[in-house]
Order: sequence, then structure tokens, then C-alpha cells
Amino acid sequence: MRKNRTLIVPAIVVGLLLIVVAIVYFADSAGALPSFFPGHQAGSSHHHVKHGIAALCLGVGALILAWFQTGPAGGTQRRVVR
Amino acid sequence: MHPISYFQAIVLGLLQGAAELFPISSLGHSVVLPRLLGWNIHQNDDYFLTFLVATHLATAIVLAGFFWRDWVRIARGVGRSLRDREIAPGDSDARLGWLLVVGTIPAGLLGLTLEHALRKVFASPQSAAAFLVLNGLMLFAAEALRRRAPGTDALLAGAQADIRLSNRLRWRDAIGVGTAQALALLPGFSRSGATMGGGLLAGLSNEDAARFAFLLATPIIGAAALLKLPDLAGHQGDGVRGPALVGALCAAVTAWLAVRFLMRFFETNRLTPFAVYCVIAGITLSIIFALT
Repeated sequence: MRKNRTLIVPAIVVGLLLIVVAIVYFADSAGALPSFFPGHQAGSSHHHVKHGIAALCLGVGALILAWFQTGPAGGTQRRVVR
Repeated sequence: MHPISYFQAIVLGLLQGAAELFPISSLGHSVVLPRLLGWNIHQNDDYFLTFLVATHLATAIVLAGFFWRDWVRIARGVGRSLRDREIAPGDSDARLGWLLVVGTIPAGLLGLTLEHALRKVFASPQSAAAFLVLNGLMLFAAEALRRRAPGTDALLAGAQADIRLSNRLRWRDAIGVGTAQALALLPGFSRSGATMGGGLLAGLSNEDAARFAFLLATPIIGAAALLKLPDLAGHQGDGVRGPALVGALCAAVTAWLAVRFLMRFFETNRLTPFAVYCVIAGITLSIIFALT
């Protein structure tokens, strides 16, 4: 996998933002969500748990991507012992 | 009185376990069969969805058990790659693990966001029968358009299936196969059929495509079932837990037999027989539903 150091900061920022979005989905009902959030519905008491799970998965994915970009450049040639 | 009788639970459980892994659409058959037998069960009824959660969970547990040793190796590989912050060259377990993660993301996201809407629109026996025909045509097309699997590669000959998989699949292939998996949100399209077809188009052999499809199915089926498990424990499960448990046990038995059979079947066979079945069954059912 090729490393791209310039991805590290954007991936961390996006990852943290998505985790915050996930927390908002878990904590707030559809009526209390900011109006620009997908799933916002005025007066609704429904919680969009699935939207929260999706945002959480994407956020964790972005953080993992950032983590891999911090690894040794070019890839090591060590032998894998299993 | 139970909304699903124990007899119905046994029939639906046996069907679900087998049809989930055969590339013939379990959801489509679960929609079509009650209508065909005149049962008063509808795909959108809460109790029926709760019942399906139990059978899906059983299928996922069976799949995880069947490939248990592989999952342990793959999990260790993923752990190694996280520790080293890279996928080491030659670490096929780590690469396969991340290919499965990458393949699971599109289907997971599409499932989380679209499942409810698609089920409401397409959960009729008529549309399931029509999609069954399309599923058959998709399987035919996958076999016709498949890239030649490089089975004579001297470097790979005799190597383990997972090494073949991780060497042949590119990241974009995993995304493509994972996205194809989302077709199963439409009752009548098969999850395993879509993923096997995607694997063939990516250059896998039938055997490797089936293996990747089953590995890819385990987390998504298991997660979907776990997500809805509270429904089974809550008031929606009232009156359906007994039949659901019986159905789950039946599904587990047929899922185990199905995965054993299919792993052997695809060593030497193709998707074509399932394509023929889907087209014939879909056309026949469409005619029956149109006439009745």
C-alpha cells in the first residue's frame, strides 16, 4: 500500500468530525438534529441510530486510514511468521 | 396463538438457511413462499422481520463457525498490520482481512441507509419473482463476462485459497464486490450470487469467489441481525420467540449443510445451474401471481 503523508491530517479531521456526527445522531432525536443533517424531521422523537452507526464506521475508517499513512514509507520487506 | 406457527417456522427456517448461501435469494424466497402456500405472512410485518433476525443470526453464527480458523488467522493478520502500520508484503491474512473490511463498507452503508425504504417499496411477491429472473440473468452474465482466472500460475499453484484471493483481488475489486452485495437489499436478488458474480468478474475462480462471498457475508449478516436483536427481546418478539428459536435451529442446520455442499460444488462447477433455476422459477412464479 502506497503511503501518502498529506492524507494524515485531513483523514484525522474527517474521522473526528464523523465521530462527533455519530454522537449527535445517537444523542439527539430526529427533531433536535441540525436542519442540515440527513434525517432531520421537525417534531420527530425518532432516533436515527443507523445513521449514527454509519457515521461512526466511516469515522473509524478515516482514522485507520490516517494510522496506516503514518507507517514506514515504502513498505518493509520483513518476513511474516505465522 | 403464534403469528407464525411452528410448522411454518420449520419450513421458513430450513428454506432461509439454505437459500441464504445458495445464490438464489433467501429474501425473495421468504417473500414468495408464504404467498404461494397461502400463508397470512407478509414481509413487512414486524413479527416476520423479528423471526428473520433470528434465522439470519443463526446463519451468521454457522458461517463464522465454519470458517472459524480462517477468521482467527485473518484477525491476527489485521492486528499485525495495525501494529506495524502497514500491510507487510506477503502477509496475505492481513491483506485479505482489509479486503473484507473494504468490501463490507459499501454494503453496510447502503444497507443502513436504504434497507427500510427498499423493503417497503419492493417487498411484494410479484416484484420478488421479477427480481428472481433478473438475478438469474445476472448469474448468467457473470459467467459469460468473467475474466479468466489465472489458475495455471506456477507461483500460485497449490497455494492456499486465501493467498490466491489476496493476490488476485485489488482494492477496487473489493469495493465493487462489496457494492454488488447491496443488490441483496432487493428481495429476489441474491447476496451470495451478487458477490460470487463480482468475484468472477474480478478474475477469481468459482471456488475462490464462493469463499470470498461467504467470508464477506459473515460480518454483514451478523451485524444486521445483531442490530435488530433487541426487537426479538422486546415487545415485537412477543409470541414469536418460540417459533423464531425453532426456525433459527432449522436455519443453522441447512446453512451448515449448504456451505459444506457449496464449497465442494464450486471446486468443479459454475453458477449456471442456479441461473437456470432462478430464471425458470421467477418466470413461473410471475405467471402464477398474474393469474391468481
